[in-house]
Parts: sequence; structure tokens; C-alpha cells
Amino acid sequence: MFAPARAAYIHVPFCLRRCGYCNFTVVAGRPELHQAYLQALEREFQTLPGPVPVDTLYVGGGTPTQLRARELSELCRLLRTAFIPQSGYEWTVEANPDGLDRVKLDILCEAGVNRISLGVQSLQPGKLQLLERAHRAPDVLRILPLLRARFRSVSLDLICAVPGESLAAWQADLLAAVALDPDHLSIYSLTFEKGSLFWGRLQRGQLQPVAEETERAMLEAAWDHLAATGWDHYEVSNFARPAHRSRHNEVYWRGESYWAFGPGATRYVDGWRETNHRSTTTYLRRVLSGQSPVAEREKLAPVDRAREMLVFRLRMLEGISRVEFRQRTGLELDDLVGVPLRKFVDLGLLQDQHGCIRLTRAGLLVSDAMWPEFL
Amino acid sequence: MIECDHIRNFCIIAHIDHGKSTLADRLLEATATVNPRLMKDQLLDDMELERARGITIKARAVAMQYAQRGELFELNLIDTPGHVDFQYEVSRSLACCEGAMLLVDAFQGVEAQSVASAYAAMEHDLRILPVINKIDLKHARVDEVAEEMEQSLGIDPSEIIKVSAKTGVGVPELLQAICTRIPAPQGDPHGALQAMVFDSHYDEFRGAITYVRLMNGRVTRGQKIRFLGGGTTHEVLEVGQFAPHKRPCHELQAGQVGYLVCNIKSLDMVHIGDTVSVPGEGAAPALTGYQPPQRMVYCGLYPSDGQDFSELREALEKLSINDPSFDFQPETSDALGFGFRCGFLGLLHMEIIQQRLEQEANIDLVQTAPNVTYQVTTRQGEELEIHRPQEVPDAGDIVEFRQPLVRVNFVLPSENIGTLMKLCQDRRGVHRATEYISPTRAMLRYDLPLAEVIYDLHDKLKSATRGYGTMDYELIGYFPADLVRLDILVNGTRVDALSIICEKADADRRGRAITRKLKSEIDRHMFEVAVQAAIGSRVIARETVPAMRKNVTAKCYGGDITRKRKLWAKQREGKKRMKSIGRVDIPQKAFMAVLDTGNDKK
Ligand SMILES: Nc1nc2c(ncn2[C@@H]2O[C@H](COP(=O)(O)OP(=O)(O)O)[C@@H](O)[C@H]2O)c(=O)[nH]1
Ligand code: SF4
Repeated sequence: MFAPARAAYIHVPFCLRRCGYCNFTVVAGRPELHQAYLQALEREFQTLPGPVPVDTLYVGGGTPTQLRARELSELCRLLRTAFIPQSGYEWTVEANPDGLDRVKLDILCEAGVNRISLGVQSLQPGKLQLLERAHRAPDVLRILPLLRARFRSVSLDLICAVPGESLAAWQADLLAAVALDPDHLSIYSLTFEKGSLFWGRLQRGQLQPVAEETERAMLEAAWDHLAATGWDHYEVSNFARPAHRSRHNEVYWRGESYWAFGPGATRYVDGWRETNHRSTTTYLRRVLSGQSPVAEREKLAPVDRAREMLVFRLRMLEGISRVEFRQRTGLELDDLVGVPLRKFVDLGLLQDQHGCIRLTRAGLLVSDAMWPEFL
Repeated sequence: MIECDHIRNFCIIAHIDHGKSTLADRLLEATATVNPRLMKDQLLDDMELERARGITIKARAVAMQYAQRGELFELNLIDTPGHVDFQYEVSRSLACCEGAMLLVDAFQGVEAQSVASAYAAMEHDLRILPVINKIDLKHARVDEVAEEMEQSLGIDPSEIIKVSAKTGVGVPELLQAICTRIPAPQGDPHGALQAMVFDSHYDEFRGAITYVRLMNGRVTRGQKIRFLGGGTTHEVLEVGQFAPHKRPCHELQAGQVGYLVCNIKSLDMVHIGDTVSVPGEGAAPALTGYQPPQRMVYCGLYPSDGQDFSELREALEKLSINDPSFDFQPETSDALGFGFRCGFLGLLHMEIIQQRLEQEANIDLVQTAPNVTYQVTTRQGEELEIHRPQEVPDAGDIVEFRQPLVRVNFVLPSENIGTLMKLCQDRRGVHRATEYISPTRAMLRYDLPLAEVIYDLHDKLKSATRGYGTMDYELIGYFPADLVRLDILVNGTRVDALSIICEKADADRRGRAITRKLKSEIDRHMFEVAVQAAIGSRVIARETVPAMRKNVTAKCYGGDITRKRKLWAKQREGKKRMKSIGRVDIPQKAFMAVLDTGNDKK
């Protein structure tokens, strides 16, 4: 009933140090754990039924390139044993501009990695400092040609709406990043997450978030500019040059199955969603002592699965057609969510045309307020 | 059979916490009515809720045997409810007594409730037995309190009996005084049966238990009786007295207090204040003073979205079997759908019922703000009783609009008089009297609209006096006032459940306060929400809940999906507990927002 997973995510939890806004599953400055981590991954891979054919691989973090060269090639070797990339595959590795060198890039390139997602965040020194990032703009400029020479696709992450940032400053930052001619962009406005250093500073009044109106203007400015210059705004925060969408991420949004490994990683196989323990040390202890690293698992009823799929599918700007919804879920879209659907269409937040539902610009801006009524 | 001249019927009137229950326990012990070791503390108020709130809600009666100098007396202690909501029940209980013990705490001194109840007792011509309790307290100020009683109530200090309900000191003297000072009941045991119903309660197995005081005649097991007011006839299955548990006897006669069990399946056939006599020609005249229950406060109760209307009805029916003084009628509201208009004796009564609904019936309710009962005379000469703002006719059809006024007694430290006077003036109070009952404490009397009193005056008094002020009030009648219906519109739609009735001169202030409050209660929507207050078609206040400008999660990858779905599903549950009006989700508690009086105007 569930198509086999043909995508895999591997979480590498190491960073040089923790950025102020970050609450990811990360351990900062613990290189002594790298070896144990690789062993644990190997143990986890052994639970697979055999080498798995995949269309996409995604090595995220953390900072995967924080691994030392030798460890990085070990990681690639493990992956190549566990998975068999199918022709036309996409293999992404996340990287940060600091600490990247030719040696590591060559290792990745030779292993078959063909897409790099680079955590640039900004090219403005003040902003990078505020975000407590380890790199500076020149690091990015130095590294980009190296990436271009080795990988088919390069994506940049950018953050907007950091405390004190003006609309004009953001527009300049965005233009500078676009001028680097990446193939893909992910643009996030800064959020204050519990568990991050910024959260505490916000509570203590030491950080002043950007006004909502400004944040909205920043997002719209970016969307407008990118749309006008031929970018494909294909998901809330993601933009691609033609043929450069992140196929791996599309697997998530389409509600398809995927494997996942490493601390805090979530997999979705046979309708089960399982999340590994978020603490890196607990993860290591469990896996290395032969226990399951899974901390939470759930399987949704078909109706709830359909609703969930719908929501995440609608976050993709192409929307979803009734026909596709029926094929995927066996359910009628209008039976499930007809009432809120009509309401949001009336309010101009959704568009219902030619049997296809999609977000309008107005809907995109406030879409989180719609989802509760679809779930 | 005991004769009238050896019967004493009395009640204890006291401010809350002055020791009424404790003293009642001591009397039961001293008369060996209960064995002290078996006694559950404070027998007289035994309902859970009363315990929780420390208020005697329902009256009870206990018969005690007491021998004095070889003579046997029957002492009937009739317990009276201690809250203004039950004023009528109190008055009926008083009508069954010849004497009242006025119990005052030796430390706290005279409080508003002591004053109000003492006046009520005096109006019923009861012999007052002044008692100062808690004389064992280290900080007892017996002499000062005696002086307060003299100043405020004209009590002769030499008559005051000093006791400690805790240690039992003074209790024998008190019992003696009951026998010697309280008059015996008058009445003719050979006359036609005439008895006052002063309370009732419902027993799951035996039906209604009717509490009576016999004025004349006698009542015997097996005979037929008739409720003169209610017009129903029943056979008496059992007569008896409470001692303190039911103790059946052969008959009760003039002067005595006891109970009747007939086969009555619902309490609403037993009316407090009604007269029990015999069917047919030989019946005695009805006693005076009977009134149907007066519901002073009304509110709408609605099942919250997704809850069952019929479940609510069943729960209300069940409660009303036990408490006929509360009333409910189905009503519909455009905003809230099907629900009930419920009438209560007062605000405390309303809270009790609501609490029971939630606790006993486990029902999630939307309650509209309470309002008092109004009267309207229309141009066509009709007299309307208004229980909900929606019933108010068009302004042009109203000749006279009347509201209930109450006389409020405040007892408070003299230093807070200024603050209290301001509070009362802001609420259109008319000052009637100020008396100093001691060098540091004063009693103020104001006539105030009941509507102004029930909402928050008690809280305001407490905070103005750091808890030392007390108040009590009684209804003095309906008086004309310049009243209007204030409507609330949400995005142009009138929300009937949010309308209120208020003084025209206050309308602007109330309108502004309500719209402001609603603005803070209503979450931002995907569109702008306008909240307006209007009289007729004239808008007098407006607030806008701005549209949500940005609400979109940026990052949603594999691991975020479950977390996000759970978050959104939780928000959906939250939304379900709101009422959607038009497309605006209004949280339950916003329906109480109209209570925000915008007081404390500068
Ligand atoms: N010290 C002292 N405390 C008393 C006396 N009588 C009652 N109390 C206490 O005062 C409080 C209120 O008494 P209670 O009988 O419940 O008051 P009610 O609200 O008038 O029924 C309780 O804590 C009693 O224990 C007394 O004579 N001396
Ligand atoms: S580099 Fe990324 S994962 Fe590492 S701490 Fe910074 S934000 Fe978090």
C-alpha cells in the first residue's frame, strides 16, 4: 500500500559552535564524538533490508563538513554501501562556508555528491555577527567557485528580519546573494525558537524582533524580486532556477516515504513516522548498545494522513489538483475539507481553478492560520 | 406531648465566620442531642458546596430537648441561609421563630451581615438574644464590640451573653436565656391545621421533605393535607423532627417545628412560604408573606460548540428538581444557537448552579453575562418583565423603563469612607445614612441599582478596605431610570448574546470598555474585525482587531511535519471551543466581556 522509500536523510549533528538562533539537534565542539557517530550510523544502516535504491540522498545537520576529511570519506563510504543511487539521482550535502577546503570538497565530489546547500545566511558583516555565524562574506566568495567547479547545483540559505534590519538593508543583502548566481535559494525570516540563545535574550528584552509589518514587506520584496527575475517560487521558503528544485525536500512535502538516520532524524516508512532520540549522546549510547534509537513513533489513520498531506502539499505553490488528491488518498477533497476550502476561497486566500487548489499571495502570508481548519 | 409554653423556636443570625456553626454544635452537645464523639463537625451545614464556600445555603432545623429546673423544654434551632440571594428564605425562617440569637465575633465586631440580619429579625418582631462569641480569643475586644452593638443596633449591653463556642464557656447561660427570654410560641393546638413551609429538600428515595412550623392545630401521620398556595393535596406518610437526623413521631402540634413526608416527586410542588392546612371547608386561612421565588439575575447558558443541547437540558432538569428557585427556559440566540435563559435568586446562586453543572454534569458551557430583571411599560400599556436585553422594545415604544434598586449596608473602617463613597457615587448610589458604630468603624447606607451591585461592588469594597469592609443588601423595589439597550456588532453583525442594558449616561463609557475588552479577547483573524457598540443605529464606540499580517512557518522539512501538524491540530481544538459568529471566532470568555463596566473612571 505504501510505495517503498526512495529517499534518505542523514543527520550529522556536529557544529563548530552553536549559532544564537539555532535549536537544532546539534552538539558544538565535540569532535571526539565523530568516530562513535560513524559507528552508530553503520549500526543503524545494518537495520536496512539490504542496499536500498534511492533517487535522493540528503546529508544535513548540523554541519556535515565539520567532520574531518578522513571521517567525511568514511561517511561517504558508509552511504555508498547502504544506498544505491539510481540514475539521475540528487545527493545534497549541507555545508557552512567556514572550514570548507578543497580536500573535503573533492571527497564529496568523488563520492558522487552533486548538490551543495550552503548556510550563507547573509553577506553583511553586522548581520552575520549578530547571528553569531562563524564565517564572513569573503569566505563565501572564496568558496563559491570551488563549489561550482564540482557540483551540479548550489543552493544558498538566507535569513531576513533579524533584529535591527531595515527593508532596504535586506533588499541589498538579497541582491548581493542573487548576484552570486546560485541555482537555488531558501529564504527564512528569523524565528525565535525555544531552546535557542536568542529565545532567552528575547524574553529578557535584549533583542527586539522586527515589526511584523516590516517582516511582511521583506518577504514580499524577496518574492516579488525573485519572481520577476525568473525564479520558480515553488514552496513557502524555496526558490529554484529551472530544473534545480530540491527533489529531496519535495518528497517531504508530497507526503512520500523516506528513510532517516542519525540523532533527531525522522523517517516515514510504511506509514510509520519515527523520530530518533534528539540527544546526540543518548542516540549514540542506544545505538551502540544495540538498542533502537527511536524516541517517538506514530501511524496516522488514513483520513488524518490525507489531511496532513494536503496541508504540506498546499505549502507548495503549485497546489494540488482534486484528481491527484483522489489518486493519492482515495478520498474526495471536497468531502474532507469542503467547508473551510470554500471559506478561504471566498476570503481570497486560496484559489480554486480548473480543479486545482493553490495558495494566493494573501493566503501564503497567513497560511498558518488556515491549516488548523484543514487538520 | 409538649405544650407551647415549653417550646422555644429560634435562629442564629451572624456574619459569616462569626461562629454560627460552631455554636450550633455546642448547643447540640450541651442538650445531648448528639454524642460529641460521634459528631461530625458542624452538623448544620452539610452540603459539599457549602463547605467549600463556607456559606450556609439551605436552612435546616434541629429539635433539642433541654431540662431546666426539672422542666423539659423543646428547643428548635432553625438555621438560616447567610447570603442575600436567599433573603426570602431567611424571611420565611424568621417568620417561624420567636427569637433570634445575634452572634457577633468578639474580635471582628459588628459586620454588615450582622446588621442586615438583625434588622430583618427586628422587623419580624423577634426577641433578640445578643451574644458575643469567641471571648477566648487573645485579641477579643468584648467591651468595644458590646459598644458597637449598642451603637449600631440599639442593643442593651447588659443583656449581652458572652460565650466561647470553642471552649463551651457561657453555653449553659445561653441555654437558660433561651428558655427565659425568648417567648413561647402562641397557637391553638385544637384549631385548624395551619403550618408554614420554610424549607424543603429532595430525598432520592422519599421525594420531597417539607420543613414546617405549625402555627395552629396538629398534623398526624396518615392524614390528608393541602398546600393552600400550590393547591395540591397529599397524604402524609410520615411526620417527624430532625434531631439532627430524621426522627419520626406520631404527630406535630401548634408551636412545633418538624418535617412532613408525602409522596411528592418534585420539589417544585413545595413552595417556601406556602401554608399547609387541611383540604376542604375546614381549612385555615393562608399565612401572609408568601411569594413565588424572585429571580433577580438572569443569564444565558449555551453548550459550547460541539456539545449536546439535550445533555444540557437533562442536567438543568436534574438540578431544578433539587432547587426549584432556579428557572430555565429554552432560548435561541443568533450568535450562540440553542440554549437556555436561566433565572437565579442572585449572583451567588448563579455561580453555585453553574459550578454544579460543570462538576456534576461535566458540561462545557458558554455563559452570557448576567443581567438583572427589568420592567418596561410600553406605549400600548403593556407591562413587560425583561429577562434579557434582546427583549427590550424599541426606544419609541417605551413609556417607562424600571430597574431594581437595593438598599446596601456597608460596615467598614472609617478611614475608607471616602473611597467607598466615590465607588457608590460612580454607580449612581444615593447616600442614605452614615453612622459611626465605634471610633474606628462606620456603617454607611446607600440605595443603589442592583445591576451595579451584583457585578463587582463586593470585590471593589474588599479591595478598597483591604478586606475589612462588609456589605449586605435588600431589594427595595423597581424605580424608573433612563436605560437603553446597548448592542455589540462584530463586523457589522449584531451579536445578540453581547447586548446589555445600561444607563444612557453610562452608555459611552460601557460601550468603549466593552469594545476594548472584546478587542483584547478576539484573536487576530485573516481579515480585519470591527467591534462596535451601538444604541439603535447610532454607533458609539468602535475598535478594530487588525488583520493578521504575517503568519507562515518558514521551515518545514521531514522532522518538522509531525510537530507542526500537532501544533495546528491543537489550535483547531482551541477553535472548536469558540463560537464562530459570521467568520469571527469569539472565545467563550468574551461573552463575559460585557461585564467590564469601564469603572474606576477618573
Ligand atoms: N477561638 C474561637 N474560635 C471560634 C469560636 N467559634 C468559632 N470559632 C472559629 O471561627 C471559625 C468560623 O466558625 P464557624 O462556626 O464555621 O462560623 P460560621 O460561618 O458563622 O458558621 C472557625 O474556624 C471556628 O473554629 C470561638 O468561640 N473561639
Ligand atoms: S551552523 Fe546551522 S546547525 Fe550549526 S549551530 Fe549554526 S544554525 Fe545550528
